[in-house]
Amino acid sequence: MRLLSWIVSAALSAYACHLAVQHATPIDAALPAIAVAVTVLAAVSYPSVMLAVPLLILAEIAIPDEGLRLALFGVVVGAGAVVALVRVGGGSHRSHSSHTSHSSHGTNGTYGTNGTYGTHFAALALTITLITLLRWIPFAGMRRTPEVLLLALCLGIVLVLGRTPFAVAVAVGTALFTPAIPRSTLWLPVSVLFVVALARFFGMPRLRLTWPSAVTIAFVTLFFPWSGIVARAFPYFLKPAPVVGERHTVGYALAANRTAEIEVPEHAKAIIVSGANVAGFKRGKLLGRIEPGGIDVRIGDAADWGYLRREAFHGSRNPLPRDPVGKIRGYGYGAWVDGAGRIALPENTRVIRVTGDPALPPGSSLQVEAFELTPR
Amino acid sequence: MIVATVAALLALPLVVLRRRTLAAYLAVDAATWLFAWLLWRRFPSFDPYLGGVALAVLKVTTFSLFLARGRDVRWSANHAAAVAAIVYAVVIPTTLRTAVIDGDEPFYLLVTESLVHDGDLDLANQYRTLDQSETGRKDLVPQLGDPTGPNGEQYSRHEPFLPLLLVPGYALAGLHGAIATVALFGVLLIRSTVRWMEDEGISEEASRAVFPFFAFAPPVLFYATRIWPEVPAAFFFVEALRGARAHRLKRWLPALFGLVLLKLRFVLVAIGVVATMLAGRRASRRTIALAIAVVAAPLFVMWLVSGSPTSVHTWREILPGEPRRYAIGFFGLLADGMSGIAFRAPFYLLGLFALTQWKATPRGFRAGMLASLLYILYLLPRMEWFGGWAPPLRYLVFLMPVLALGAASVWDRISRGAIALISAWTVGLVIHGIAYPWRLFHISNGENPIGEWLSHAYRADFSRLFPSFIRENSAAWIGAAVVVLIVLAGVRRWKLDLAIPLASLALAAGFSYARQPASHVEFEDAHVVREGGELYPQVYQVMRVAYRGGYVLETGESLSFLAGAGTWRLEAITGLGATFELAGHAYTIAPDERYQAVRVTIPESGRVTLRCLSGAVNLDRMARNE
Repeated sequence: MRLLSWIVSAALSAYACHLAVQHATPIDAALPAIAVAVTVLAAVSYPSVMLAVPLLILAEIAIPDEGLRLALFGVVVGAGAVVALVRVGGGSHRSHSSHTSHSSHGTNGTYGTNGTYGTHFAALALTITLITLLRWIPFAGMRRTPEVLLLALCLGIVLVLGRTPFAVAVAVGTALFTPAIPRSTLWLPVSVLFVVALARFFGMPRLRLTWPSAVTIAFVTLFFPWSGIVARAFPYFLKPAPVVGERHTVGYALAANRTAEIEVPEHAKAIIVSGANVAGFKRGKLLGRIEPGGIDVRIGDAADWGYLRREAFHGSRNPLPRDPVGKIRGYGYGAWVDGAGRIALPENTRVIRVTGDPALPPGSSLQVEAFELTPR
Repeated sequence: MIVATVAALLALPLVVLRRRTLAAYLAVDAATWLFAWLLWRRFPSFDPYLGGVALAVLKVTTFSLFLARGRDVRWSANHAAAVAAIVYAVVIPTTLRTAVIDGDEPFYLLVTESLVHDGDLDLANQYRTLDQSETGRKDLVPQLGDPTGPNGEQYSRHEPFLPLLLVPGYALAGLHGAIATVALFGVLLIRSTVRWMEDEGISEEASRAVFPFFAFAPPVLFYATRIWPEVPAAFFFVEALRGARAHRLKRWLPALFGLVLLKLRFVLVAIGVVATMLAGRRASRRTIALAIAVVAAPLFVMWLVSGSPTSVHTWREILPGEPRRYAIGFFGLLADGMSGIAFRAPFYLLGLFALTQWKATPRGFRAGMLASLLYILYLLPRMEWFGGWAPPLRYLVFLMPVLALGAASVWDRISRGAIALISAWTVGLVIHGIAYPWRLFHISNGENPIGEWLSHAYRADFSRLFPSFIRENSAAWIGAAVVVLIVLAGVRRWKLDLAIPLASLALAAGFSYARQPASHVEFEDAHVVREGGELYPQVYQVMRVAYRGGYVLETGESLSFLAGAGTWRLEAITGLGATFELAGHAYTIAPDERYQAVRVTIPESGRVTLRCLSGAVNLDRMARNE
């Protein structure tokens, strides 16, 4: 009966979300799948977590702005995930009234009295759900074999660490930070599994760390529609959203020793630059120079334009630019930001001369993308 | 304001939460601040005021969850009152920041000002010097039918007892002080209600769970932070019921006096209270005499003030009306999208569910419901059963403590999914009401804020999905039936609790359906896109509900809307005669004093434009012929 109830709930919720889809992004298209994920979260924690489904539908209906809508999806799903995680932790906050959710067999019980599944399965189900949300949506870009392998390794981590909130957080974090392209990057979850197994073998206690784990999970699920950026450009979402002014496109690619003299448009206060084929450079490596003012452009001021793409990230050593103004591209684990950085220009400059650093290897270049104009 | 709100949010848990529950709450609180800050940095263009209000309301919601389900909670009527006082103290300046007082409020304040400054009830000089008034309303004029004196005195139709109560607060702090006085009654109401629940044997868990729905949700929240007599009336009603329950004359008698002096209509409630008190007991002469005095007192006061014991009312108003009016009033109060319990205060559906469990409910609930029957019977057939130009459910606010008691008494029999849905809807109502307090007042045109908003956003008639008994629509009786079904079975706790998935499905299916062309178009509605023209009658027309609303187009003006293919019946009135074009066809209407029906054809479903080619026409509605 319980299982039937959850299956019916999942089917109804998925169909409702299917009817509600209004927008064209892959995250919107995946709303039915997200509804099923929410149902799993509810099944392993509190049935009221299902409330996330109508809230997702409301967000889909009511918010036309893409960024805000997807962020609200993240808030709703993140809240559900945190509630489920705290439940996995045994619930630091339970009532003693008759309608509460005490597991019928203690914290390792099979069923909770409120119709949910007990913590026996909860940690595993929660891990699968979160990894699915963070890595598999949109489904179109998913590579089945490495993903299934990665999932198995992460479940192994959860089991070894004792199915606690901390175990879930470690497993989800590991999954998030494993690009799986190339497949050799799967050494990361294997290493984590090996280390935690060793640690447990040598007496590491079964850590719960419910609240720190909850905050971690909340952060990664909050931005799940752009989980690729959370994984590969970690501080990006901790920074303020770049206030991007109107741009005057320039479009120069300057190889070593190549110089361009560019007239600065009226009201331009900054220049937008990035690198091409410089993903292997470390922070501080010189890309070029801007005159007047003797402004050095280094890795850190800008980055390789495509270094945050999932396929390119493994070989990249660039950090996120200090003042990142790249556009968010793609969705889910495939989301990335281009490596453009903003550099302020000296006051009252009429013409600038930009030179590619002599040490740039062949094929690499400093790209002058645009001037940023301040509002008139 | 921000500092005060943050301080209030920090103070709330310290009043009632303890030890592990407090620690857990503070951890969640810190985390929500952190994530709110992150989101604010990512979305700087989002309306900061709406965002701030939403965050504060969500924090109070989180606090309420911990209050309801926490293990280490110090709970009593006084704690409840303290928590309510903190919240009201923040809500009052927040709502005053963006909206002026409206409806009857400025008139109550004018009377208060007259009492404070002149020591009389004559408002003639107040109307002449509105620029000196704290009302902030320079557009005030005497209301239609307000009593006048032989020497040009101008009185208010409103009973003077509420202004009298507001005098100390107003004298201390003007408008804010006057509203704080009402809020003080709100706090007393919360305290009395929680104490009443204790008296009636409600468990502490149920009392804690119900408390936020009662204190921090509509309608009590919005009436406790504005100048209306409803919340003081609710307080006096609860006190009267408590006094009657305990046979304490010193409690019920002054409470009943307070109740009837606030509004003449509450005499009907007082009669009900006295009747339930005396039922099954032999009344002493003294009690009967006091009961008669209670009923007579407000009549005497009104006679002194206005020269008529019933003021602007007549005795005929309490005579029975036609049965259909009762049905409209009853189902309207239950299910109307603009003013019904289901949409504007859904928590109280649980109180109605308690009615179905009559024998299991506490004595106080039964007495409260029976005592209010006469009043409700009088209210139902009235034209303005929905409360007129006021926040929703005005005429039922006094009954809310009784319904809350009922809900608390059946708390363990209610579906958890239904509670979650009601909570979410309530949170949305509170955010909306605090961020946009002026939207609590709605033109009585059959639409409602959410229907209008969606209609604007999608240019399709979403309002038709919300039942309206103000301007009866096709969803009215279906919606009423659904709400009755919800009360009878939907909120009940079942083994297979599919409340949330079914609600999700209804939401999504409704949304899909609403985007299709309707078979009925009201030209004054929000989904109609207009190029020129004007609303008829104007928004603030007194008793607008009594008019056939419409939209007036003159030559060259147009409007467009979604309509299905087929033949339609268009109803309009024109004194000049008019020619208009609709979907490529031209139609002419001859001048007439009456509304006329024109048969029009729309060849293809989709958006069509109606343009006035000559003359002027007041377009009422259009309905497709089946």
